Formats: sequence, structure tokens, C-alpha cells
Amino acid sequence: MSVERIADLNLDYATRYGFHDPEEYLHKAPKGLDHETVEMISRFKNEPDWMRAYRHQALDTFLAKPMPRWGDQSLLHGIDFDDIHYYLKSSEGSANNWDDVPENIKRTFDKLGIPEAEQKFLAGVSAQYESEVVYHSINESLEKLGVIFTDMDSALAKHEDIVKRYWATVIPAEDNKFSALNSAVWSGGSFIYVPKGVKVEIPLQAYFRINAQNMGQFERTLIIADEGASVHYIEGCTAPVYTTNSLHSAVVELVALKGAKIRYTTIQNWSNNVYNLVTKRAHAHEDAVVEWVDGNIGSKLTMKYPAIHLLGERAHGEVLSIAYAGTGQHQDAGAKMIHAAPNTSSRIISKSISKDRGQSTYRGLVKVHKGCHGCRTSVECDALLIGAESRTDTYPTMEIAEDDVRVEHEARVSKLADEQLFYLQSRGIDADQARLMIVNGFIEPFVRELPMEYAVEMNRLIELEMEGSVG
Amino acid sequence: MANTTMTDLANAVIPAPRTEFTDAALDAFSRRLGEDPAGAAWRRAAAAVNRTIGFPDRVRHLWRYTDPADLLPGRALLQATESPERTELPATPAVLLRPGHEPLVNAAAAAVGVTAEALFGEADHAQLVGRAVAADHGYFESLNAAAFDAGVVVRVPRDHVAAAPLRLVIAAVPGRDVLPRVLVAVGAGASVTVVEDHLGGGAGAVVVGVTEILVGANADVHHVLVQRWEDGTVGHLTVRARIERDGRYLGASAGFGGDVAKFDLGAILAGEGARSELVGVTLPDRRQHLDHHTMHRHLSGHTWSNIDFKAAVAGRARSSYTGLLRIEKDAPGSEAYQENRNLLLSEKARADTIPELEILTDDVSCSHGATAAPLDPEQLFYLQSRGIPADESLRLVVRGFVELTLRQVPEGLRADLEALVDARLERLVGER
Repeated sequence: MSVERIADLNLDYATRYGFHDPEEYLHKAPKGLDHETVEMISRFKNEPDWMRAYRHQALDTFLAKPMPRWGDQSLLHGIDFDDIHYYLKSSEGSANNWDDVPENIKRTFDKLGIPEAEQKFLAGVSAQYESEVVYHSINESLEKLGVIFTDMDSALAKHEDIVKRYWATVIPAEDNKFSALNSAVWSGGSFIYVPKGVKVEIPLQAYFRINAQNMGQFERTLIIADEGASVHYIEGCTAPVYTTNSLHSAVVELVALKGAKIRYTTIQNWSNNVYNLVTKRAHAHEDAVVEWVDGNIGSKLTMKYPAIHLLGERAHGEVLSIAYAGTGQHQDAGAKMIHAAPNTSSRIISKSISKDRGQSTYRGLVKVHKGCHGCRTSVECDALLIGAESRTDTYPTMEIAEDDVRVEHEARVSKLADEQLFYLQSRGIDADQARLMIVNGFIEPFVRELPMEYAVEMNRLIELEMEGSVG
Repeated sequence: MANTTMTDLANAVIPAPRTEFTDAALDAFSRRLGEDPAGAAWRRAAAAVNRTIGFPDRVRHLWRYTDPADLLPGRALLQATESPERTELPATPAVLLRPGHEPLVNAAAAAVGVTAEALFGEADHAQLVGRAVAADHGYFESLNAAAFDAGVVVRVPRDHVAAAPLRLVIAAVPGRDVLPRVLVAVGAGASVTVVEDHLGGGAGAVVVGVTEILVGANADVHHVLVQRWEDGTVGHLTVRARIERDGRYLGASAGFGGDVAKFDLGAILAGEGARSELVGVTLPDRRQHLDHHTMHRHLSGHTWSNIDFKAAVAGRARSSYTGLLRIEKDAPGSEAYQENRNLLLSEKARADTIPELEILTDDVSCSHGATAAPLDPEQLFYLQSRGIPADESLRLVVRGFVELTLRQVPEGLRADLEALVDARLERLVGER
């Protein structure tokens, strides 16, 4: 089934990107998950006892928690947790220098354009290959500022005190079944600490890759912006085509202390056999600003609802997201805004495109707690349907326990308009090109927020997905 | 399941409280009510559904804010034998539903050319019942289907225009359970206004009601649901219209009373060109918890629907609203709109809203909007600066908030509803 579905949309994915490097592993945990696997991962990584205990406890939580009874049940129950490798390590340690990165891995990244981008203006590249970060470089100026930007395993080894202080304070293992799974078997991911008052001017980025059949990717990211600091982090995902299901279940925690600003940009383009079940949440303290910019293009099933807990007065949260679902895909994404302090504000803008037999779902929550007067929040959902068998669902939830607030929600569903197509075609633009132009216009508010090279990549991805649109 | 809409949810069965419906007990109850044998067969089938359907799953948005256990009948069912309390029927066309007895129909009702008889008084009722609300619609609906004790079938003949609104009076009784079941069958091209008036009740009163409205092709039906239970009453009411080709339906609801009450209101747009409009106002205060669900399901093409639901919440009350628009694959060219506005009148008031869309085909036009906001201090200030006292200003602003919605209610009924709104506003102002 998977083979057909993928062929459906990405016939030439392999030739276009040629991602499939032969597997070359130093360590590969056996399939399946039990305390032995968790113990092995932790021992192998030489972790402190508290982390090992945390993993074991999280595993118990994972095993005890039932699968969610909501969401796309037929897809969710297609996950076979026993048929997944919970840990792989593809080469020895991390490299600080591009020359030290193994050739086969480099080839893959070449196709993604990372070194080129780095040469231009990217500060640090930490590319995740399999379960661990293999390459890492940090701009010297960042180090001088006291910014820590490293992979999570190294952070735990070198900055244990600060990791321990913030670890799982935003997303406890008990939060949901998949955060528990991640907590038990996490590996890799990024760690960023920006000291007080430091503003990181250039975006920090990491590329994640999955490159083995039946392999789960459980990275763990923690970003702390201390008082008055600011940082923009970019997570880009892309993966080779495989014929059996892969599970990606990340946990991303952001902490924006007083007056800090964090923007977290994701472009998710997993291959269409990947389950992308991710928990992302931020704490925004007094006067802090957190923004999730979230693009979901690939995967078989994505369930991702970036959340912002507005914990301090005047904190502000924004989620700007787009989702693209083609045949065989279900993009179940959304956002959560929890107003837990007075005079906080938030905005959610969500756009989705469902094409052919694709399905997209917006699922969101806006909650205003008692006593949080003066809050403002607006939610806007826009769904574009292309094809009579496409589907879109909107499930926004608003819970208001305070009178002095302004809550607004709006959603619209429309099909690709014939009049627009007709207009463009009457100007001599062919049908495919016209469709692409309309779709590009639809997602423009999102693309506009991306750094230039990502905007280019985004447009290119949409172009690939739109090729051969139904007539 | 007839009403399964959130298809992406697991069908986990939550164990329900045991209800002992033996076939023998159902048969005996059916006989006592003088039903046609088809009634006993229907009840038996419904009891079988009730045994397996399970309790509402609170993971579903439909039950997120209200505990179904709060709405359960408190006593053994199938017991309604006492003679009903005397309730005066108005001089205008009216039908009184009486637990354990035939409905009481006044002369004025007969004069407008509609018939009202006990459900399953005739064998052919079996062809009508369950078409809009099947027994497997949900737990409470299966309970009602098996054990309803006050049933009525109202029929409007083909092409008949009922000259005056028909009022159905359904009284809750303190310390008792009432399970009313209303079936309104409107023939093709006919036109009627039905007012369903839920009143009475008090401590220990429970109502589990189902109303089905069959709107024939090109028929025109107005249904007004008024709920003005006394304090202490709890209840669950399900209303569905099923609209055939080019039929038109207007459902208006006004929710005032009860301690905890849940309403599942909606329409199935079954035939091409069907139109449905739902309007609702609710004004909970004190510690009331009123939960409204609306649903428009488009089964056929070129259908149109609109929902306008308003809640003004005072005291420590809570209004919960969930609304679903669903357009099925075979309903191209459909339009569906939904709006929910919440006015929060006190610091402790609470409003929840989940307006949902499920769109399974692309040739549609759909939108929904929801807002929550406090009383606008500028409006109050403006009115007061014109010499209008504070209480009166508050009354005017809230009246203005629900006014546009009330305007959808057919002329002649609006005054009644406005009087109820004013009475509630009087109470709100008095308690401020």
C-alpha cells in the first residue's frame, strides 16, 4: 500500500534527490522497545543517572498510556511500535569541521544545499543524520557571546546543570503517549542557550534526516532565551523514500524568559511513509514573544499542534502555519494558545491545501484562564480544496473563563476558484502555471516569513507537489 | 451509525450504566400505552441498541463540557402510570404530552387541519419514526427510543398550509423522569409552524427528549424550541429535521432554564436544494450549565445552511457550544455558514465554543466564525451619557445582542420569546 501511495505523489523523488545512501551503522538497536533497549541507549551514551532514571520512568508512562482515541484512527493504528529501531548511531561522534564529515553523509547534504548555505550567512549547521548529530559548527562570534548551540547529547555531557534545570519543564513525559516515547528513547536534537540580553542576528539551523528503514527518529530540542535575549531557529526536515513506515516523534521545548524572543521555523518534508507525531510547546514569560512558523508538506500522517503557554503579563504568541496534503496524506496540525496571565495576546493563522485525495485538519485550542483580563486572541483558518475527493476539517476549541477578553475565530473553506483560473488563462497563462500562481498567492503570507533561501525552497517544493494537478 | 460524523474518532465503547429493559417489560409497557404491536418491536430493537451503544465518550467534542452522568434519569423507567397533572391548554392550537397517556389535543389544533395522535397509535408510524433520529444516534437517544413515555405524531397533509402555529406543551415534573418523543411529519408542499414548549420541572426533574421533524419536498417548516424549565431540572433534548428536495426548515431555539441541560439540534439536508437555518439564543445565569450542539449535515448537492447562535452568560453560569458543519462527498455546490457569538456579562461567567467543519468535497463555500467578548463599556457609557440608567443600558445592550437572532423567528412567536428574554434580563439586572 505504501509503495503505491508514495509512487502516487513522488514518482521521481529518488532520482530528483537521490537520497538513499547505503546504510552504514556503528550501532543499531534491535527492533522493539523495552527497558533493556532504554538501558542500552542510556549506558551507551554515558548519561548521568537522573537521565537514565527519567528514561525508564518515561517508558513506563509510554507503555501505560493508551493510544489517543481521537485523530486519524486508521492511520494511527498502522504504527507497529515493535517494528522500529529505537536507536542508531551512524558514525563516530560529531564533527566540528566540514572536512571531518564522512563523504557519504556529505553527499546527501550536498543535495540539500547545506554547505552552500553555510558559506553564505548561516551561523551554525548542525545536521542530524540518523539519530545523532554528526556535524556541528558554531560561528565563533556566537561562542564569544556565550551562546550555546550544540546537539542535545553533547549539551547533556557538557552543560548538564542547565540542561537539567530546564529539562522536561515545558513538556513532561506524561504529557501524551508520544512525548513519553520520546522521553524514553530520545537521541540527538538541538540545544540552544542564549544568555541575557544577547540577540542572535542570524538564524541558527539544523537539518534532520531519516535514512534507515523502520527507523524512528526521536530528537529532543530545548531552546532557552534568557531575559531580553532573542534567537531564530530553523528546523528543516527532508527524508528519502522508503517502502515501510517510519516514525518520527520529536519533543521541542522553548523557554522565553522575561522580555525574550524566540522564533522557531520548521519546514517538514518527510517522505510520505513517515508518521510525524510531534510535541512542541513554548513557555513565554513576562513581555516575551514566541513565534512558531510551521510548514508541513510531507509525511503520511502529521499530528502537530505547536503550543504557547503565555505565563507572564504582556507575553505574545504567534503561530503561522501551512499544510499541504496530497493523496495518501493526512496533515492534522494546529496550534494551542494558553492565556495564563493578564494582558497577553496571541494570533494563529493557519492555511491548508488539500489536493486530490489529500486530507488536512486544523485542530486548535485557545484557552483563557480565570483572572487573565485584557487578553486578545484571534484565530484564522483558510482551507483550499483542489479536487472533488479532497477533504478538510476544522476543529477549533475556545474556552473562555474571563469576561474582559477579546476572542475571535474565523475559518473559510473554498475551492481553487474557476474565475481566477479563467482570468489567468485568458491572459495566456497555461492551466498548470495558473494553478501554481493561485496556490503561491494563497501561501504567500507564510512564505514571506521565511528567510530567503527557505522561501525559495518552499516555493520549489510546492511547485513539485503541484505538478500534474488535476484538471 | 446514523449520526457518526467525527469519523476520525475511535469507536471505543464506554461502559454505560445498566438499564434493565427486558423484552417482557417493554412489551407490557407498550401494551399499557395501547400501542400497535409495531411499538413493542421498535422498543425492543432500541433496547438492544441501548445495551451495546455505550456511554458518551468525553474525548468527543460533543461531550467535552458536560458530564453525561449528570443527565441520567434517576429512577426506574417504564413506570409512567399515574394520571398526569392537570395543565391548562391555551385557547390557541395546542397539544399536551402526558406521560403514560395519550396526548391531549384541543379543538383549536384540530381546526388548523393537522392531526396529533399517540406515537404507535397506528401501525404506519413505524415507517416514520427513526428517520431523523435513529435509535443508534447516541446513548440518550437509544434510551428515549426504548422507554419514551409521552409520544406524539403530528401530521400535516400534503400541500396543506396550517393557518396558525401549533404549540406542543411538554411538562417536566419534580422528582420524576419524563421521556417525550415528538414526530412531526410534514407532507410535500405543506407549511406549518410548531412550537415545542418545555416547561415545568423542579428539584429532581429529568427530561430525556427526542424530536424528529420530517420536512417533505418543497415543504416549509418552522420549529421553535423554548426551554424554560424551573431550577433543579436537568435534561437532554435531541432535535433533528430531515429535509427532502427543495424543502425549507427554520429551527429557532431559546434556552433559559434548568440546572444542567444539553441540546443536540440540527438538520440533515437530504434532498437537492434543501435549505436549513438554525438560530439560537441562550442566557444562562446563576450556576446554570447550558450546553448546545448544532449540526448541519449536507447529504445532497446545492443545499444551503446557516447557523446563528448567541450566548449571553451571566453570574457563574457556563455556556458551551459546539457546532458541526459537515458536507458529504455527494453534496457539490453546497453552501454552509455558521456564527457563534458569546457575550460575557460577569467575571465568573464562562463560555466555550467549538465551531467545526468537515468538508469532504471541493465545490463548496463554507465559513464559520466565533467570538467572545465582554459588554462594551463604550456602549454602556454612551447610553448612560444620554440619561439612560445603568440597569436599563445593560438591558438594552443585551437585548441588542440577541435582537438580530430573534428577528429570524416568525412573526407572532417573536413577542413570546422577547417576553422570555426580558424576564431573564430583569433577573440578570436584579442580581447584578
